[in-house]
Amino acid sequence: MTIQSWRLRDRYYRLLGSKCEDCGDEFFPPVYRCRGCGSERVKDKQMPQTGKIITYTKLHETLPGFEAQAPFFLALVRLENGAKVLTQLVDSPDELVKTGAKVRATVRRARVDGESGQITYGYKFIVAS
Amino acid sequence: MAKSKVYIASAGLTKIGDHWGKSLPDLAVEASRMALKGAPRVKPQQILVGNMFSAIGAGQEHLGALLASALGLSGIPAFKVEAACSSGGSAFNLGYSLVKCGAIDSALVVGVEKMRDLEPEEVSQALSMAESAEYTQFVGATFAALNGLLARYYMEQMNVSRDELSSIPVIDHANAVTAEHAQFRKAITADVVSRSSMIADPLRLFDCAPVGDGAAAVLLVNEKAASGARKAMTEVLGGQVSTAEFSLYERDDMLDFKATRHAFRGAMQRAGLSPKKLDLLEVHDAFSVVGALSLEAMGFSKKGMGARDAKEGKYSRGSDLPINTFGGLKARGHPVGATGMYQIVEAHMQLTDRAGENQVEGARYAATQNIGGVDSTSAVHVFGRAS
Repeated sequence: MTIQSWRLRDRYYRLLGSKCEDCGDEFFPPVYRCRGCGSERVKDKQMPQTGKIITYTKLHETLPGFEAQAPFFLALVRLENGAKVLTQLVDSPDELVKTGAKVRATVRRARVDGESGQITYGYKFIVAS
Repeated sequence: MAKSKVYIASAGLTKIGDHWGKSLPDLAVEASRMALKGAPRVKPQQILVGNMFSAIGAGQEHLGALLASALGLSGIPAFKVEAACSSGGSAFNLGYSLVKCGAIDSALVVGVEKMRDLEPEEVSQALSMAESAEYTQFVGATFAALNGLLARYYMEQMNVSRDELSSIPVIDHANAVTAEHAQFRKAITADVVSRSSMIADPLRLFDCAPVGDGAAAVLLVNEKAASGARKAMTEVLGGQVSTAEFSLYERDDMLDFKATRHAFRGAMQRAGLSPKKLDLLEVHDAFSVVGALSLEAMGFSKKGMGARDAKEGKYSRGSDLPINTFGGLKARGHPVGATGMYQIVEAHMQLTDRAGENQVEGARYAATQNIGGVDSTSAVHVFGRAS
């Protein structure tokens, strides 16, 4: 995971996604080919940092490497440009986590890998109170 | 495609559950031997093994040659087919396609999975590999969590109640009581589902298929090889595998199970059969919400009505279209890479009057639907009583 997350650092730190140069659709995660019009003329584009919760769930049982964070909210967020991001929510009290709630992006520790304990960072979202 | 008909000449399966004393090859060999013994004069010309996570689960890959060797069939081509939880259905589709197009006369298709050797978090990790490592595993999303997101969205968008969502697990458990190979042979009520422990809000323990070990196998033959078979056979009328945008967040409409919609339509068209003709349906209900959305994608329920229709008895035993006649994924069990093959063996049992107390009387046509990921892949097959 460590090399993989280094390679993807711009995606994970800056929410770097894709914009189609033909139809203007924007995507996160980035695409190789526009899902709207099929064009392969897609370029990197930083995503807006705010959006709204489409749906969410709370996890008590996690994947290995995420135990220390449990329980946590996982949400599907629609960014202001229409792109959708699957993300953890942090610093967000239960009563604020609702479908339709406004959220903003931040960067946090994502996971601690393996026995060497290398730390990976990445995007998470906070409910705007 | 060539005109030859394709038949399931024989089948085998193990009970699903805790096979502490048996390894992954043990289970695959056990189910395969049962299938081979059912038609001893047929020699398979190819082996296809459906399996999802033998590497992480048993430290074993290269299952094709391993199984060929273990069965004394070395020499023939043999492959592992991996498509997450639709590995079994996908392996079957390849076997069926090869026999149908005349490349081979016969094929042994096996689905096998060994899940109970793993710790729960290791199972979660293995299952999460059905989704994007870079953007889904990265945020710590378990497979149950993705389905929890989907379940909340379904309930909120379609105004589906907790009791309605529980209805498919209730049908599964009712049907499993008399199913010998089922993992959980105990009836439950909607109340039991809604009071079970929370897994990924709003999904509870009884919304989710269990973890288990098992293997199921069939011997496929064309008309030429069928002369060597001796028992009642099932005809494979059609089948299709389809894929959709890989992850939920890549889809315009998360409630449209597009892979299943396309696979079902394609399979029925190839079979030349109207869906109204089906006498039973094995649905991939790894989570209650997935069962409901599958029934909607195949057109048996209107959008938002899958769970509601199930509650009203539309899919119960004795109805026009009973589903999951041996308990489905929830109660028969879901050894992921083997599940598609269990469904197919169950359809074969129904269409050859071998279903015992679970027999759908006079069943002539059956279909099976097997999903990988959250409907990222779907394998649908249609079967008929061989005339």
